Amino acid sequence: MDRDLLRQCLTYHGESFFNKLKCEQTENPDFQAVLSDLCKVSCESKSDEQDSPLVEQFIARKADILFCPAWKTTTHQEEEHEEEDDAAEPYAIMPPLELFMEVSFEERRAMMYRDLEKGDILVGRINNIREYGFFLTLLCTAGGLKRDIEDLELSALCHIREIPSTGSHDDPLSYFQIGDFIRAAVKDIDRYQEKITVSLLQASLSPNLEHIKLGVVPREELPIHYRRSVDAATDSSETYECLLKSCHGYHNPSVVAYLLEKVGVSDTHPPSMMRGLQSKLFQEEDFASAIRKKQSASWALKCVRAGVGYFKHGHHVEAMNEYNKALDIDANNVEALVARGALYANKGSIVKAITDFELALKSCPDHRNAKKYLCQTLVERGKQLEEQEKLVTAEGLYRRALSLDGSSPEAQEALHKITDTIQKSIRLREEALAKEQEKATSSQISAEKLRKILKEEKRMKKKRKRSATSSSSSTTSSRNSSPSSSSSSRTRSRKKKKKRRRSERGSKRRGRISSRESRRCKEGKSEKDRAVKEEDEVEWYPAPPNTSATFLDQKGGPGFGERDGGDEVMVKDADDRRISQLYSLSAASEDEQSDSSRRDSKRRDRGESRGKRRKNSLSKSLEREESKDGSDNSRERGRERNREDRRDSDSKRSSSGEDRKRKVSCSSTESEFSRKSSFKSEYLGNSGSASKHAERGMRCDSSRRNSLDCRGHEGRGREELQELIEGKTERDNRKGKVVDGSNRSEAGNHTTPGSLTSGPEGRAKKDLPTNLLDIFNQIAQFKKEKGAGPK
Amino acid sequence: MEGPSAARGWLRDSGGDAESDRDIKTHFRVCRFIMETECDSNSGVKLGMRSVPVATACVLYHRFFQRVSVHAYEPYLVAMSCVYLAGKVEEQHTRTRDIINVSHRYFNSGSAPLECDKEFWDLRDSVVQCELLILRQLNFQVSFEHPHKYLLHYLLSVKSLVNRHGWSRTPVAETSWALLRDCYHGAMCIRHIPQHIAIATLHLALNSYGVELPVGEKEWWKVLCVGVTKAHIDAVVSDLLQLYDMEAKCL
Repeated sequence: MDRDLLRQCLTYHGESFFNKLKCEQTENPDFQAVLSDLCKVSCESKSDEQDSPLVEQFIARKADILFCPAWKTTTHQEEEHEEEDDAAEPYAIMPPLELFMEVSFEERRAMMYRDLEKGDILVGRINNIREYGFFLTLLCTAGGLKRDIEDLELSALCHIREIPSTGSHDDPLSYFQIGDFIRAAVKDIDRYQEKITVSLLQASLSPNLEHIKLGVVPREELPIHYRRSVDAATDSSETYECLLKSCHGYHNPSVVAYLLEKVGVSDTHPPSMMRGLQSKLFQEEDFASAIRKKQSASWALKCVRAGVGYFKHGHHVEAMNEYNKALDIDANNVEALVARGALYANKGSIVKAITDFELALKSCPDHRNAKKYLCQTLVERGKQLEEQEKLVTAEGLYRRALSLDGSSPEAQEALHKITDTIQKSIRLREEALAKEQEKATSSQISAEKLRKILKEEKRMKKKRKRSATSSSSSTTSSRNSSPSSSSSSRTRSRKKKKKRRRSERGSKRRGRISSRESRRCKEGKSEKDRAVKEEDEVEWYPAPPNTSATFLDQKGGPGFGERDGGDEVMVKDADDRRISQLYSLSAASEDEQSDSSRRDSKRRDRGESRGKRRKNSLSKSLEREESKDGSDNSRERGRERNREDRRDSDSKRSSSGEDRKRKVSCSSTESEFSRKSSFKSEYLGNSGSASKHAERGMRCDSSRRNSLDCRGHEGRGREELQELIEGKTERDNRKGKVVDGSNRSEAGNHTTPGSLTSGPEGRAKKDLPTNLLDIFNQIAQFKKEKGAGPK
Repeated sequence: MEGPSAARGWLRDSGGDAESDRDIKTHFRVCRFIMETECDSNSGVKLGMRSVPVATACVLYHRFFQRVSVHAYEPYLVAMSCVYLAGKVEEQHTRTRDIINVSHRYFNSGSAPLECDKEFWDLRDSVVQCELLILRQLNFQVSFEHPHKYLLHYLLSVKSLVNRHGWSRTPVAETSWALLRDCYHGAMCIRHIPQHIAIATLHLALNSYGVELPVGEKEWWKVLCVGVTKAHIDAVVSDLLQLYDMEAKCL
């Protein structure tokens, strides 16, 4: 019990109350503890108006509540000074009550001196300015304390030291005039001599009032309670009640909540003097929220039961409705989630099913059915993903399934299988990477085929390394580099021979390919002848003199090795593609890696295709070795192969000028061939690869078929080609498909030059034969400029 | 529900003065029920309702039974509907389901919550029907002025009269608030005007701690409300003290 409070109360109520108190609180040990202290209190009753004995009785009876320290919920917090604003007044700010009570001058003055403290805020008007400071006539208080002091004739001194100096003026007092309203903090109160000194320094404010600005205030900013009290004082008919009801704040709908907080009373655990309403007596589980939760759970279960009944009879829609209802009632009902998940799984919505099971397991991690179902569903989903070739995600799902149910044979089997696949693809990827980094890797792939491929790849790598150096030098020194590059090609030719020997014992498939290839080569020969002719014509052209050589090589030279080399390119390319596909599969499932890996694969593909071109040029240089006139601008040629085609045909046209039509068709076949040769490897690779590419492979085949008898069906072949290109670009556009992503990059490398230059032109040739020459000329002009540019 | 029916049967065979006394006791119990449940989460305490909606519910209840006999209607059902209606009036909505649950729990403490079956829905319907009955009985005048606002403003004004340290030491605010809430156990909350109730509770609270306020030409309570007399205050206080006595007798 609060001894001081009790003492205060005793002094107020007197002897009779003390007796009642002793009587009522005999059984209260707390009271007995303080009783001895209280006996010393002089119990002469001061109050003249005697309270009724009933009130005293009541106080005595409830003393254990009233004087219990826990009764006081207000924590003594220095009340925050809220911004005074007429419009936003959250409650009615009333003038001081003593104004209405008409408390005597002396008493109010005494009260003021008693209650005023250091750090409080006073507002006054300057009545006198001296050299050591100025004097204020106090008007009102601001901040926490609200008193009516205007007529108390209080004055305060603000010393010059207490005025913050601005530095620029030597006399801070020059800012102030008699009649200014000044807001100042109480610096010191001399209660005996009744002297108040104030300060304008912010530091002299009490901490809770620190944000209030001291200094001169305009009349409008005087405290609201002061302004209202002035109004009330002038109009004697203004009562407290009228004033209260005229305030905005009184009509604030949330004024009760606001003021309760302000006075420090909790409304969620409201105080009551009724014994039965001491809120601590209530049990938490009797509260509405707890009961509702319980009830909802049981209700939801009922719905689930009904749903399961429907489900058993095959009424899936009704069952789903019941489950959803159950989840509406109780959003986290485990049974409902599991049941709905099972229904989803049954209906094939595996992802939804998994979500439900996961949710169920989240709130109830040991739910047996949820675990079991989730495990099965995860395996199911994993298989789906596997079909979509998202291997790593699928693996994750299998692992999760196993972690749920370690004994699940399906999950184990699936995981086993997928780990194998992944490891395989990872190994392939590693090899691909190693190749990219041009490191000698000792691969341990058991498959016979792979080993063979790897051996070849290793060889290629070495070769490419060389050609890379030469090509880099050739690009920089374009035409003039011919001697050095030819010398390098001489050394390369030796390797080439070795390679040729090896490739002679190629696989069956390669044989098949080479047979096809040789068929084409035959046709290529005639093509070559023409090309040679063309070469002469092109001599004036700034393009490299060996342009025609590309045709020779690509269409298959007369040499056996030449052909073989081409085959090798194809086989290797096919393998590369397979690797990169596997790679891209795994890349697709690794979301965070997919981007970088795609980039990698792209880079690698580019490298490969470059290598291929290099190889082509290599075989070329083999031929050229004898003539020793070809500059080995292999990279440039590779890039410009199609452009050169164009140029050749253009030049042909422009130089001869006769039999335009035939030549155009010729050139188109040529370009088609050249394009085809660049596709060729890809087609083969595709036909060998997954069934997904079957369509493309088919098309390739058809186009090849067309190209085989291209002379007869040039137009058709062109059409096919166009179609193909379009198809390819279409495919390119489907960037979302990551699997295609790598293919795209590859295809892009192979086809972009062709599709860029000849694609639209081919169409133009067909549609507008009259405009043809102009267009070609323009293009040729453009190429010329472009080709001449870097040189 | 055992409680209400028991209370009803008990009320039937009573007459004369004893009857009115019993009615008061019934009302006290029912109001206690309102307070307890609302605050619980709202049938007073257990329903989590704030003081003002609780007060509204009690006033609705007392006004309803001012017009009709307590024997004509089941008081606890009326109370539940009052709580529901008060929630709407004071914009602190309470769900009927919560009210029914908490009430069920109140009468059958420790029992499992009601199943959501026909009985439950019937009960719910009767609560809603009763709400309409109350509305018609009160001529749809269901918003009241409560003493709460007054009391809080008075508290602030009185606070300024007192030394801040003395005030912060004395739980006048808590006590007066508790007294005000307790008023609603009886019909006194509709017998007196809100200002008088507010002044009386504040007066009693200050008295309890022996807080002395400066005395001017007028007493502090006189200026708060025009026309208030000591007799008014005493009447409220004595009604209030009776309610506290009633608690011991009723429960």
